[in-house]
Amino acid sequence: MNNRLRELRTALGWSQADLGEKLDVSRQTVNAVETGKYDPSLPLAFKIAKLFELPIESIFTPGE
Amino acid sequence: MRAVHKRYLREFFPAMLAYVILLFLSVGWLKTLEGNLARTLVTLLPVLPIAFVIRAMVRVIRDQDEFERRIDLESIAIAGGIGAFGFFTYGMLLNARVIAAPPAEAVAIWVLPVLLGCFGVVKCAVRLYYRAR
Repeated sequence: MNNRLRELRTALGWSQADLGEKLDVSRQTVNAVETGKYDPSLPLAFKIAKLFELPIESIFTPGE
Repeated sequence: MRAVHKRYLREFFPAMLAYVILLFLSVGWLKTLEGNLARTLVTLLPVLPIAFVIRAMVRVIRDQDEFERRIDLESIAIAGGIGAFGFFTYGMLLNARVIAAPPAEAVAIWVLPVLLGCFGVVKCAVRLYYRAR
């Protein structure tokens, strides 16, 4: 799965730690999601979408 | 450090300290103690804090975030497999009398430390795996 998390985060000037705090996850988890090493669960994906006020499908897209 | 991990350390270290203190107390006391029931109770004294260590581990696994939990659960699964494989292999060698048999208690007492040791090493490897992937 691909995602625009890094792009959205940096656009707001947040660090990975800032985003982790807002999502109640570790910086390591934010990094793993951003780099595509870990696909978040549906609840976490919804939380991310809600935080950025965007639909899930505009943040996460299916990979090849 | 996140709150869930601070809580883990607050629960883990006092329990380990209690284990060490009770272990020394128990070993010293057993030298002079008579009676099966009393010896059983004193022998099992250091086991109680280990139950609290396991409780702390269960609580941190349940309360940390999903990616951390995935790393821990993968590590426990792999470490359990390695530990069980190791003990099984050792048992086969003992059964064939290829190596000298230690006392049964020496083998049993090493089960938990081996599993926890394997978990620690495997967790480092799993974290590196996700970092490098």
